[in-house]
Amino acid sequence: MKKYKIIIVENDEDEQLFMKEGFASTGLFEIIAQVLNGDDLLDWLEEHQSTLPDLILSDLNMPGKNGYDVIELIKGNPAYRHIPVIITSTSSTKTIIDKCLAKGAADYVVKPDTFVQYVPYVKELYNLIEQKQLVK
Amino acid sequence: MLSNCQSLLQTITVGIFMLDVDGNITYCNPAASAITGYSAQELLLKPLSFIYNYKGDTTKLDYELGLALKKGSLISEGWKTKKGDGKFWAEMILSPLYDDQNKWTGYSCILHDISDKKRKELEVRENEERFRLMVEGIQDYSIFMMDPHGYIMSWNEGAKRITGYNPDEIIGKHFSIFYRKEDAESKKPEKELKIAIETGRYEEEGWRVKKNGSIFWANIAVTALYNEQNALIGLSKVTLDTTERKKNEEALLQSEERYRLLVEQVADYGIFMMDEKGRIISWNAGAKKIKGYTANEIIGKYFSIFYPEEDILKGKPADELKIARAEGKYEEEGWRIRKDGSRFWANIVITAVYNKDGSLLGFSKVTRDLTERKEAEKALRESYNRYRLIANQLKVSNTELSDANEELEQFTSIVSHDLQEPVRTIKSFLQLLDMNLNERQTADLKNYIHKAITAANRMKELIQNVLQYSQLSKVEIVKETVSVNELFSEALQNIKTSVEASKAQITIENEVATVQGNRIQLVQLIQNLLTNAVKFSDTKTPEIKIKCRNEEGNIKFTISDNGIGIAENDVNKVFEIFRRLNTKKKYPGTGIGLAICKKIIDRHGGHIWAESKLGKGTTFYFTLKEETTERQHA
Repeated sequence: MKKYKIIIVENDEDEQLFMKEGFASTGLFEIIAQVLNGDDLLDWLEEHQSTLPDLILSDLNMPGKNGYDVIELIKGNPAYRHIPVIITSTSSTKTIIDKCLAKGAADYVVKPDTFVQYVPYVKELYNLIEQKQLVK
Repeated sequence: MLSNCQSLLQTITVGIFMLDVDGNITYCNPAASAITGYSAQELLLKPLSFIYNYKGDTTKLDYELGLALKKGSLISEGWKTKKGDGKFWAEMILSPLYDDQNKWTGYSCILHDISDKKRKELEVRENEERFRLMVEGIQDYSIFMMDPHGYIMSWNEGAKRITGYNPDEIIGKHFSIFYRKEDAESKKPEKELKIAIETGRYEEEGWRVKKNGSIFWANIAVTALYNEQNALIGLSKVTLDTTERKKNEEALLQSEERYRLLVEQVADYGIFMMDEKGRIISWNAGAKKIKGYTANEIIGKYFSIFYPEEDILKGKPADELKIARAEGKYEEEGWRIRKDGSRFWANIVITAVYNKDGSLLGFSKVTRDLTERKEAEKALRESYNRYRLIANQLKVSNTELSDANEELEQFTSIVSHDLQEPVRTIKSFLQLLDMNLNERQTADLKNYIHKAITAANRMKELIQNVLQYSQLSKVEIVKETVSVNELFSEALQNIKTSVEASKAQITIENEVATVQGNRIQLVQLIQNLLTNAVKFSDTKTPEIKIKCRNEEGNIKFTISDNGIGIAENDVNKVFEIFRRLNTKKKYPGTGIGLAICKKIIDRHGGHIWAESKLGKGTTFYFTLKEETTERQHA
């Protein structure tokens, strides 16, 4: 079973902590970085050109460069274009999901009801990636 | 007596010979020598045939002598020879001579040189012959002679060609043969003849009949002919078949008539002719319809009658003719006056009309009443404008609708994200509390409670701001006259605590006394901008400059700081709702403040924008329209 290298973009530090625990307990992903927003993500990618992630999981609503900006930045840069961006957020509103997909997000996953329910979330995310072959 | 006779013979200019019974000359007088050129000696004893045309032609001489003897006298005319090669035309009278005893002794011969007379006669005859041949040969005109009663005496080629009669068919016939039955019955030929005889000439055009019964249109001239004694010797008649010409003339007339009728009946165009001075000489139905005058009323009037007084004073009608004459044509659109004094918008074309020789006959003028077209155009334009207005209104409504939609979408986003997030956070920490309490773990409880309270506070703040924002678009704003200085002082009062905490230095330069606007909203606007100026100051002491001045009809407010600034790419994003360009931790906020500012300015019909460089401070500008403001007294 493949272990995907993932970068998580999330501004809420509490949430980040719980996400990390959820991902770690399943053992399905290797978190290679956790960043606070799009600006930090870009900085990280520039410093780690040789070890790019298999995918990026990004929150939508962040101060500084938000989730929409992340999609545009990754899809607008030939060096990163191949990396799928999956947006994750509290909203399940269709117009917002459509907007993300239209901008080039590989998929959209609604965040769990609370921070403590990240284990099933991570499992579902993994299944989704496998099913849709989001990582080439 | 005898000497008298002798003297007569010697002096008379007529040649006289005496011949013996055989015709030999026994005597000749001097005149005979003079006429023939031979002396008496040369002539004596020669036969008379010595001077005949064929010299010594005794056969003819014997014949003539015989005839003279038999009839008692012979008169003959013919050539006689002179001495040398000459000859002369002579009249010769031969008579037998008898002596007292009535015994035949010979002949007398009288010879009269009539060469001159003969020559003249020949010349006349030659002339007459030439003339006759000429007349007879003429093909295109029928020329014939009639006696005073109208009987045909001569006939030429033309007469034959035109009427079809040969000379032998027609000579001797009365000329009424060429007349139609009704004309003959009404004695028309006789009347014509009478007129010609009395006046010397009769001319007319009329129908005549050919041999085959067909008729032709003839131009005829009958001329009475008198001889030198002034006696009527006959009449000449010259006839020309003008059927073709008449046909052409008729065709031309018909075509002209058709054209005239056509022009007269055209109803949509006023078409009339003017003389070279501009007087009207023809008038059609269209002109009557458009201008209201009948032909009787208008013909003879100057065409300036159709022009407004102003044009007449300017001499416009005359100028138009001048141009038409110089350039061949004058065209324009303009107001013209009807008979009833009403105006109509006319398209007119004046064209100079010349005859074949190139001299000006006058002008034609074609007038079209464009009033209806103009009105239709106007109506079309008005309806177009009306539709454009409606379209504009629709566009405005559309924009409003799409703005409303956008706001609705923003609200969806607000509720689904920004309001859900703190709730989820609170719920998460409450769940953690619950889990920890179940497991009797108390270590992190206070921390979880603190985080839940923070989230709840944030939630409350968000709800308040969102309500404030949504309130802005709901109600019609009530504008009043507001003192600018009061706006500044009220806003500063509201944020007094944070200003004092930051030790910010604030300067105000105001040139404007009052503005028209909603006081509460304008205070909110200035307050939000000042709050940002204080907040995004990094570690420096904030220096904030507030300015207000009138710039070309706009009241321009400027609020500048020395803070962290905004990256150039992001300057335009600052007014987006929930857009926070800086991370929450460093600069907490809801991301609604500038969105509220933008909304307030939009509601006031002004503009708001920012200029900034990262690390070099930010300047916010906003404008209000002057028409709703007053300048402060200096």
